Amino acid sequence: MKLASLNADGVYIIGRLEFGERNCGLCIINWLMCILEVQDVEKSYKTAAGFTPALAGVSFGVKQGEFVAIYGKSGAGKSTLINLISGIDCPDSGQIIFNGVSINRLSEDERSRWRGKNLGVVFQFFQLLPTLNLIENITIAMDLSDALPLSEHRGRAYQLLEQVGIADHALKPPSKISGGQQQRVAIARALANDPPMIAADEPTGNLDSKTRDGIMEIFSSLAKSGKTILVVTHDKEIASWADRVVYLKDGRITEFQEE
Amino acid sequence: MTELRTRWIKILKDIWQNKSRSALVILSIAVGIAAVGMINAAKLIVERDLYRAYQAGSPASLEIYVSPFDKELAGAVESMREVEKAEPRRAVDALIYRRSKEKWEDITLVAVPNLNAVEVSKFVLVKGSTNATTRSILLERQSAEAMGVGVGDKVVIRMPDDRQYTLQVAGIVHDVYIQPFNLMNEATGYVRMETLQWMGEVPYYNKLNLVVAQKPYDRAHVLEVGHTVRDRVIEPAGFQVFRVQIPGVGSDPGQHWAHNQIQGFLLILQIMGVMAILLSAGLIVNTISAVLMQQIRQIGILRAVGGVRVQLILMYLVYVLILSVVALLLALPLGWLGAWGISSLAARFLNFDITEMLLPSRVILWQVALGLFMPALVALYPILEGTRISVYNAVYQSGIGTEHKEDGVRRLLMKLKGVSPPVLLSLRNTFRRKSRLVFTLVTLTLAGAMFISVFSTRASLTQQIQDIGRYFTFDVALSVPGGTGKLTAVREALRVPGVEVAEGWANANGVILHDDGGESKAIEVVGIPYDAITIDPVLLAGRWLQKGDAQYIVVNDDLLESESGLSVGSHVRLKVGDVERWYTVVGIASKHLSGPRVYMSIQEFWRLTGRHNQVDVIRVRASAARNSDVITQNAIAAALEERYKNAGLSSLKSTTRNAIFADFTQVFDIILIVLVIMAVVLSIVGGLGLSGVMGLNVLERTREIGVLRAIGASNASIFKLVIVEGVTVALMSWASGAVLSVPSGLALAAAVIHAVLRADLNFRYSYVGLAIWLAIVVLIGIFSSLAPARSAARLTVREVLEYE
Ligand SMILES: Nc1ncnc2c1ncn2[C@@H]1O[C@H](COP(=O)(O)OP(=O)(O)O)[C@@H](O)[C@H]1O
Ligand SMILES: [Mg+2]
Repeated sequence: MKLASLNADGVYIIGRLEFGERNCGLCIINWLMCILEVQDVEKSYKTAAGFTPALAGVSFGVKQGEFVAIYGKSGAGKSTLINLISGIDCPDSGQIIFNGVSINRLSEDERSRWRGKNLGVVFQFFQLLPTLNLIENITIAMDLSDALPLSEHRGRAYQLLEQVGIADHALKPPSKISGGQQQRVAIARALANDPPMIAADEPTGNLDSKTRDGIMEIFSSLAKSGKTILVVTHDKEIASWADRVVYLKDGRITEFQEE
Repeated sequence: MTELRTRWIKILKDIWQNKSRSALVILSIAVGIAAVGMINAAKLIVERDLYRAYQAGSPASLEIYVSPFDKELAGAVESMREVEKAEPRRAVDALIYRRSKEKWEDITLVAVPNLNAVEVSKFVLVKGSTNATTRSILLERQSAEAMGVGVGDKVVIRMPDDRQYTLQVAGIVHDVYIQPFNLMNEATGYVRMETLQWMGEVPYYNKLNLVVAQKPYDRAHVLEVGHTVRDRVIEPAGFQVFRVQIPGVGSDPGQHWAHNQIQGFLLILQIMGVMAILLSAGLIVNTISAVLMQQIRQIGILRAVGGVRVQLILMYLVYVLILSVVALLLALPLGWLGAWGISSLAARFLNFDITEMLLPSRVILWQVALGLFMPALVALYPILEGTRISVYNAVYQSGIGTEHKEDGVRRLLMKLKGVSPPVLLSLRNTFRRKSRLVFTLVTLTLAGAMFISVFSTRASLTQQIQDIGRYFTFDVALSVPGGTGKLTAVREALRVPGVEVAEGWANANGVILHDDGGESKAIEVVGIPYDAITIDPVLLAGRWLQKGDAQYIVVNDDLLESESGLSVGSHVRLKVGDVERWYTVVGIASKHLSGPRVYMSIQEFWRLTGRHNQVDVIRVRASAARNSDVITQNAIAAALEERYKNAGLSSLKSTTRNAIFADFTQVFDIILIVLVIMAVVLSIVGGLGLSGVMGLNVLERTREIGVLRAIGASNASIFKLVIVEGVTVALMSWASGAVLSVPSGLALAAAVIHAVLRADLNFRYSYVGLAIWLAIVVLIGIFSSLAPARSAARLTVREVLEYE
């Protein structure tokens, strides 16, 4: 794989457009085009042994409809970064701006509401609700964010299950289907309220290679249909599905280095 | 049909798929609510039906016992302005033959001027007719039932002079004013005065039933009217007044005779009801905490997909509400059933009819309000706490304990390598979550204290009865109506085979005259041999009677209640009939259900009453050393009755010491059974609570258990770990329950004894109860940890790792 150049801010770029340079004109263009902008984000965790730094000043942007992979080794800070972006956790400093809204300034409840409309989250361990069947695992997201009329919930959920290819199992509980299928349901759930962006942390981390491709194909086609996709992975092959790869090492975005 | 929102579907499915947990919450709510319904409904039903029946028959506000008199005296009393009605009655104690048991039972024959038109404390005709002839009788319904006779049947009556008469049952009546057969084992029959005359009695009355004209419920006023009647009409007419009293056992005028006892018992039940509610509230808090704890991850997910905290709070409140509604549906019929049980029992013993066995709407409203709001209210705290967690912590940190988890595990591992006793490990677990531990402890402690208290109450009652029994240390006692010479009475008694000791006692009614010219209420003056062994008094102060005591008396504690100025050394002026004499109080004896009493030597008694050498009761013992067994008592009783009958002294039934005890215990046992049932309910609730907590602890330690498994801990050792923890908590609760059971037992025993005996308390702690509860609580500890232990042992390493 041919890797492109590294710009001044340390944003590693593969793709059609480059941005993030400290060029003012480009900045404005970038800002206009970016659905998501991460600016100087720092985060450390408090542990018994003191503070563990996880992110040490990360900045980059993601454009509407872009398929970006956040790539790095275990412990690099990928999960931390995606949790900050999806508003699940808060940065110590820096900003995360989504469509002009500073996510880190929102309260926990406001972030929930924001996620309900703008961002679908996909977890490594699928995190489906065990007592609900597949359809209900999707309609619960619609129900809580109240974006759609109640009468459309089940119909749309069924369509989404068709879209991810498991409509046959619609009435089964999560425990009765395979891991790959569960992750498809999780993606369908992330799409429940038709958000412009999907954020996934190691979505294939728990799946075998064949299943993996199926999931990545779904992300790929979602990106083609205009969704912005952010996928965290430690797997180079997975990263290669993306339009662009952001390489993270020790909490910083750096140039990719082959180990 | 509109679709159900998915959030409600989730709740319904959560409830359905965790059936045992849902059942636990439902049960704990239902038990509390049902208890409240049961107790309040029973209270309302008893008050409605018993008290209404009581009021309906124009109850006597006052009873005046007078020397034999005729109708004219009643007429004169009734013509007084202060008196609304005055009805004379005559009561004769006799025996009635009970064919089914082939024995004689006590019966009181009551004569009134007109059986067809009783005016005060009216009975109600149930069957047959009140038109009794000279040879017929009206039987009280419980008496008729016990004798197994109906209208038209014949009954055999044995009079005090031992002659037998056969009477036909003309009618069966219901009299709510007499102490019923089911409670007292004394029958009641109503006859015409002519009938009594035919049976050899003099045609006079001996009691006036009065309804006071004004302020009929004012105790002081009613008594004042009584004294006015006595002083202005009865005594000037030449009759002697023995006693002026308000009917009942310490009741106020217009109140049912057992009003205080009923209210006391209901109060005890109310306290139990409050405890049941408190416990079920605690259990709800506990279980809801467990649910939220278990669903932390789900809470995180719900918030990750767009849910806000208010929505979650609402979801869990609805969860509680649904369980509450189901519990309520269960509690309403359950409460009804309980109310039915208690009020039927009351109806049977107090001889009244339940007009309609519906839960009063007030009670239903109470239950609904309590059932719907209480659980939601108490669940609010754990729900608010549980939903406060941040999304990040909820999704990623659940299953990881908050404090020094890593250290704990590491230390744990090290210990395990050194083959640590699992007890130590369990102990550490037990103390990990203090607030949860406290709750379980409180529940089980309450249950334990309650349980031991019930046992202590029983032990105290036994003690109390034994203390009271010290005043009845005869084997058999027999009354001699009208009295007889002491020498004859004792000689005849000693001729009964097996009798070693015979004492003649005498009694009279008297009053204490006050310096201000007033007088005390009626007191019983008892003359006894100074060396009597059929009494073993409990002295609260001073000394007992001694040889040569002339004008010395011992009074009992009951007398001090009305004559509060009295103490050892006091001088009192006692009046019996027309004679007044001064006495010095030398001792105070404890209460023994006798009413105010004065004991003096029989010689002094004879001097005071002028009834020289006369005795009224013969009290015998088979052995001077001790009381004899039941069989001996019964044998002597029969022989003594026979001997006295043949000698023409008395044809009354004798009393054995054993019979006195048997009568007491029966009433107590009913109350104690109810109390034991409550304690069992509490321990079930406590066990359920412990089970919930153990489940929660296991859940919290999923990771730790996984680590233990990973390093090779066997199923059995993990099983044991959980059980030891459960038993440890149980034992701790036992210890604190033991401590609490001292004051709570004291309170319960005091309440019960006061309700039943109207006497002060002799508390006795029950170590038997303590030991039994120890066994029960250990079993509760084991059984309530079984399910959590099984699920802990079932956890696989993989599941545990996935849990992260
Ligand atoms: N909850 C946490 N508490 C303490 N340290 C954490 C926590 N989460 C992550 N870390 C630390 O932060 C760093 C980055 O972690 P993470 O973002 O999970 O990396 P990645 O997802 O790339 O494997 C690591 O050193 C990790 O140990
Ligand atoms: Mg990660």
